[in-house]
Amino acid sequence: MSETTEREKEITIEDLGVTFRDNAGNDVQALTGVNLDIYKGEFVSLLGPSGCGKTTLLRSVADLQEPTEGSIRISGMTPKEVRLEQKFGFVFQQPVLFNWRTVKKNVELPLEIMYYDKEERSKRADEMLEMVGLKEFANHFPRQLSGGMQQRVNIARAFGIRPEILLMDEPFSALDEFTKEKLHEDLLRIWRQTNKTVLFVTHNIQEAVFLSDRVCVLSPHPGRLSAVVDIDLPRPRRLDMKDTSHFNELVTKVRNSFEGGSL
Amino acid sequence: MAHMIKRRKSFFQKMRENEKVQSISTVVLPVLLGIVILALWQGQQLHALFHTDTFTLPIPTTIGEIFIDNLDKIGKNTVSTVVVALIGLILGSLLGYGIAVLAAVFPKFGKGGLSIIGAFASIPVVALAPVLNNWTKDVSKDASVRSMVAKILVVMLIAAADMGLNAYRGLTELEQYSEDLMATYAAKKRVTFLKLRLPNSLPYVFTALKVAVPASIMTTIVSEYFAEYITGIGRQIRENIVLAQYSTAWAYILTACLIGIASYVILMIVQSIALRNYH
Amino acid sequence: MQKKKITDQNWFSVVCWLLLIVAAWEIGAIVVAHTKRSPENILPHLYQILAAALSSAKVSGGMTASRVVLSSAGATLFRALAGFILGMILGFGFALLMKLSGVIEKLAFPYLMLIQLIPVLGLAPIILAITGDINQSRIVIAAILSFYPVATNTLEGFKSVDKDKYDLMYTYAAKKSTIYTKVLIPTAIPYFFTGLKIAAPMAITASILVDTLQGDGGLGCMLSQSLKHAMSIYVFWLIVFFSAFIGIMSGYLMSWIERLVSPEYRGSRRAKAGKGGD
Repeated sequence: MSETTEREKEITIEDLGVTFRDNAGNDVQALTGVNLDIYKGEFVSLLGPSGCGKTTLLRSVADLQEPTEGSIRISGMTPKEVRLEQKFGFVFQQPVLFNWRTVKKNVELPLEIMYYDKEERSKRADEMLEMVGLKEFANHFPRQLSGGMQQRVNIARAFGIRPEILLMDEPFSALDEFTKEKLHEDLLRIWRQTNKTVLFVTHNIQEAVFLSDRVCVLSPHPGRLSAVVDIDLPRPRRLDMKDTSHFNELVTKVRNSFEGGSL
Repeated sequence: MAHMIKRRKSFFQKMRENEKVQSISTVVLPVLLGIVILALWQGQQLHALFHTDTFTLPIPTTIGEIFIDNLDKIGKNTVSTVVVALIGLILGSLLGYGIAVLAAVFPKFGKGGLSIIGAFASIPVVALAPVLNNWTKDVSKDASVRSMVAKILVVMLIAAADMGLNAYRGLTELEQYSEDLMATYAAKKRVTFLKLRLPNSLPYVFTALKVAVPASIMTTIVSEYFAEYITGIGRQIRENIVLAQYSTAWAYILTACLIGIASYVILMIVQSIALRNYH
Repeated sequence: MQKKKITDQNWFSVVCWLLLIVAAWEIGAIVVAHTKRSPENILPHLYQILAAALSSAKVSGGMTASRVVLSSAGATLFRALAGFILGMILGFGFALLMKLSGVIEKLAFPYLMLIQLIPVLGLAPIILAITGDINQSRIVIAAILSFYPVATNTLEGFKSVDKDKYDLMYTYAAKKSTIYTKVLIPTAIPYFFTGLKIAAPMAITASILVDTLQGDGGLGCMLSQSLKHAMSIYVFWLIVFFSAFIGIMSGYLMSWIERLVSPEYRGSRRAKAGKGGD
């Protein structure tokens, strides 16, 4: 982590813990004692099996979930302040497109909410759709698009507001391997162009290694951060890097850093 | 496996697998059935089946003749029925939607209110109509006006119940994460309502109308039975039966069926326009 | 998350609403009592209605008001039930028939849709004229009204079985009858009950309506008679409340029976008792 210390810290997570109460009245620790710094412009993955609290961690950063312990600071502000300043771009597991709006209108939605004028909205939406390669589908409705295309609209919408921080919750987990690889390349290209901080939740080790600067490994019962693995593959990443022995060593290293054994 | 392919298909099987035959039969079969029933009715075989005579169950051509002869009167009564049903439907739907909005905004108490509204829907119209007749006695000196108000109120209650329950579902059964999405944009409650809940509820509004439109016509007809002022399709059916003018009554029944079908067709057209962007 | 407070319970808000309605009714009744000449015709106090229900004064034919209501309700509701059951059986059978035979489905489906748009209650007088018997026509109309929601909903249930389930049965080389008993009918049961929940209040409404057409006992008949002041007006109010109650209860009764017979409800109840958290 020596080369990143001189860079500006963007997100600081200290002693974060989240406890739920289930229907039976028992307390369930979803997350406990998480300490993590994320730097400006960094691509960080949160990796772990289901139930390890990775989504809870992401939702806490986005102020969709209130932590029960510890704190999160984003450039000195609370998640709520950042959210109210509309600096987050959140990409959910599902595309969450409004099917009564055209593709372009969907991309314009957050811009409408943020009171951009009509011309600016239209210009930006066109720009974003061009970037994800869906320019000719601008006037289609979401249901007319394939799952992969819908997820691209989702990404275009998230980048359209020029967010300071992009939060992605298993955005590609429902897609087939071929579409996924294509979108990985697209995402990395857009990320390079915009240079935003990305926090990326996934349960796929290869995906995490291929995309990230750092992989944060979370383990379940209770959910906790068990290791942070630096990924020193050169950028820009290319698909053929997945065939190198170094890539496979990193995958093995990440896999071995899981705690709790039985996955 | 080879013998499977060579196996000869029966005639019926071939018919079943032929798409052209299938699509033609979807139209032709019911039309044929309709013609057969009409023929049996006209030929009085239907009367034998139901042990009745052409006086209580007049043959179609007689009904048709009476229908055309009384077009003027039927027209007037149709207007009366349709006006009541339509006003009641519109006011009731607005009321129901309003209640659904309140329930969505204040879920704690709104949900109980919806349960009550749902219960109202199963109160027999027969019990509601006379009560509202009593309540509207002082609305106007004109019997035609006050009985119209009473009928509209009954229809309103029925329509409001249908709309309230469905619209509430439309306002609250949102796609997973869509509320979270709005939260990440720090969208105000009002904005979330306008951009997400309202458009999301539109298909549910039509689901409600598909029930409410036929129900409001049926309710209008039944409340006409109890109304003070004698007007409307339903009342004419009853009056003519009391006078043993069965063929005239049947002409009004035919009208009631036509109103029912026409209103549904109109609703379907409106729906296809309103929901053209919803796929 | 905290433990559920009493104010968060759904029944609590239902009770609040009921109290609100009762309060509104009573305020209305007080206003009416001071402004109208015969307030009991328009809006009597609820306690007056209750008193009428419990009073032992004879109102008609040597019977108390409650006896009048209950004995006429017997006649009406028994016919409604008979028609309802008839319509239910025919509706389910017809849906099954339509599922079994594509030709029958094509023949009848448009008419099944059409019958929903026809104000069947408007047919009540003519059916009375054809059958000539009030009891028969009660049953017939209740049966018609129950038939189509049951038939359309059950058919929808049969159609909701997805292709994978058929494929699964195919891999087991299951007989057609097995597919029906193990897959199709169990899938259609919740839809069947949806139909019943719509049908039950309609059957009751129809049955009461038919009563009003001919003076031969029954709730509807008593309703018209008391409206014409042939007997105490409180009989009218009792019938209004009673029929509203029965109409509402009929829907709940169907939900209750559904819970009783469907395994997934029983299963979920058992699961709820020993459910862990996630």
